[in-house]
Amino acid sequence: MSITWIPGSRRRGGFEIRAYMGKIALGASVLAIIVYLIFPVIVVLAISFSAGNFLTFPPSGLSSRWYLAIARDPEWVSALEVSLQVGSLSATIACLLGVPAAFALVRYVIPAKALLSALILCALITPPIVTAISTYLFFVPLGLNNTVLGLACAHAVSGTPFVVINTAASLRSADRNLERAAIIHGAHPLWAVLHITLPIIAPGIVIGAILAFVHSVHELLVASFVLGGVGKPVAVKIWSGVQATSDPTIAAASAILIGLAVLTFASAAATQSLARRRSA
Amino acid sequence: MPLLLLLPCLIWISFFFLAPLAAMCWRSIASEGFSLEPYAVLFTSPLYTKVILTTVKTASIATVGALVLAYPLAYVLTTASRRLRALILVCVLVPYWVDIIVRSFSWLILLGDNGLINKMLMRLGVIAAPLALLYTAASVLVAMIQILLPLATIVLFGAMLRIDRTLLAAAKIHGASEWQAFRTIFLPLSLPGVYGAGLLVFVLALGFYVTPALLGSPRETMIAQTIMVEASQLLDWSQASAAGAVLLLITTAIAALYNRYFSLDRLWGGTDK
Repeated sequence: MSITWIPGSRRRGGFEIRAYMGKIALGASVLAIIVYLIFPVIVVLAISFSAGNFLTFPPSGLSSRWYLAIARDPEWVSALEVSLQVGSLSATIACLLGVPAAFALVRYVIPAKALLSALILCALITPPIVTAISTYLFFVPLGLNNTVLGLACAHAVSGTPFVVINTAASLRSADRNLERAAIIHGAHPLWAVLHITLPIIAPGIVIGAILAFVHSVHELLVASFVLGGVGKPVAVKIWSGVQATSDPTIAAASAILIGLAVLTFASAAATQSLARRRSA
Repeated sequence: MPLLLLLPCLIWISFFFLAPLAAMCWRSIASEGFSLEPYAVLFTSPLYTKVILTTVKTASIATVGALVLAYPLAYVLTTASRRLRALILVCVLVPYWVDIIVRSFSWLILLGDNGLINKMLMRLGVIAAPLALLYTAASVLVAMIQILLPLATIVLFGAMLRIDRTLLAAAKIHGASEWQAFRTIFLPLSLPGVYGAGLLVFVLALGFYVTPALLGSPRETMIAQTIMVEASQLLDWSQASAAGAVLLLITTAIAALYNRYFSLDRLWGGTDK
């Protein structure tokens, strides 16, 4: 930027200095904002390795005792299991619903397309408490409350938009001519989609599925209404623990969720860069 | 063909999302015979008036706070080099992937009487006794803004990427300073994005439950908490449903407004309106 010639810049030396100061101020404030964003995450991670009995930061010594406490506690283990079941089941359903929907929205001219896509996205902005009580009321006569299947079905609704968004983005950037070439050479259109297009857009679908999974694992209110009694998922378990805080077990459980989030984030990023390299 | 592809998704959404919402609305007016009493309570009882006011106030301040902090972050993201952009994006996205309960919980630890903030202030000699930082409107807002910030940043960043940077270069060639170019060109062009992000963040802020429940006092009670208490403790399902229906109506209206001016389609990179 310094080599661009600005007419009359020499006379306006004051501006240059002010612009420089402005840049420093901007950089400093952005740094402060990032610290504000990241710091709470670091705090929970640090406390989870605390050796002490209380939730203090900085922790008094390091240990992995709270992780062991979770691993030994059958309630925590079963909560993690339930979350994994609900998460993977709902992410699978979201893929089965979302991938075809993304094809329809990207490739066809549909009447009222804006309305349809708004309807799919709606689940993301509806207040969770509203979804929670309405799902509970609806599930009572169906007998779906207190079942893993019921919660997975409900979570699939809010997971679908993640799949649709990411699949649609991949589908838009994919080269459709490859599919056309296969069809010209005699392939059945469905075969071409399944064997040519689907592998190309797979990373987008995977990222959408991961997001849907993480969303389900984090979701609290629908989970606590539908599956809040016995066999509760980990978010509900953490929430009941957080309200009666006493020891760093909660921090360790939270750290496991953070680890899960970072892991999935890293795998999503890796999938994406792999896809980019393959297409390059 | 497109209908066939969309059908499973639409049926699922109708059955597991729209039908439950309809059931909730139905429950709000018909429990033992028809009655609009729950709605009358909603609009006349001082408790609900207070909770609704608190909710709107908290959500508004949190939205403005998130936008003010997200703006410089998104601006730097648009101008940064590739490496720096990736680094900042990771810093913005990692908290986004961390559970809201966990993030609120971490503020509980930081802001407590023995928390880091009080300890630091006392060591520096600014205060003698720990400040009551927790269970105040401020503690709720600090955590809510931190939770909403990643989303606000990403939406704003997307909007700012669509601004034509050559306009800024043109202004500078004609003698505008960096600040002048920003104020007269970039800022006005970015305002629609700010409004869009604001609406989205506001809708999400209205429904917050965990953060005010954990970090606020009864005075900071938001509508989601009241609905939770009505439904799970008082078992007054018609009252809870009525409050839920009103909350649903408000968020749907805001979403429709957003859709009208910014198009929800844009969220998945569809055509701009």
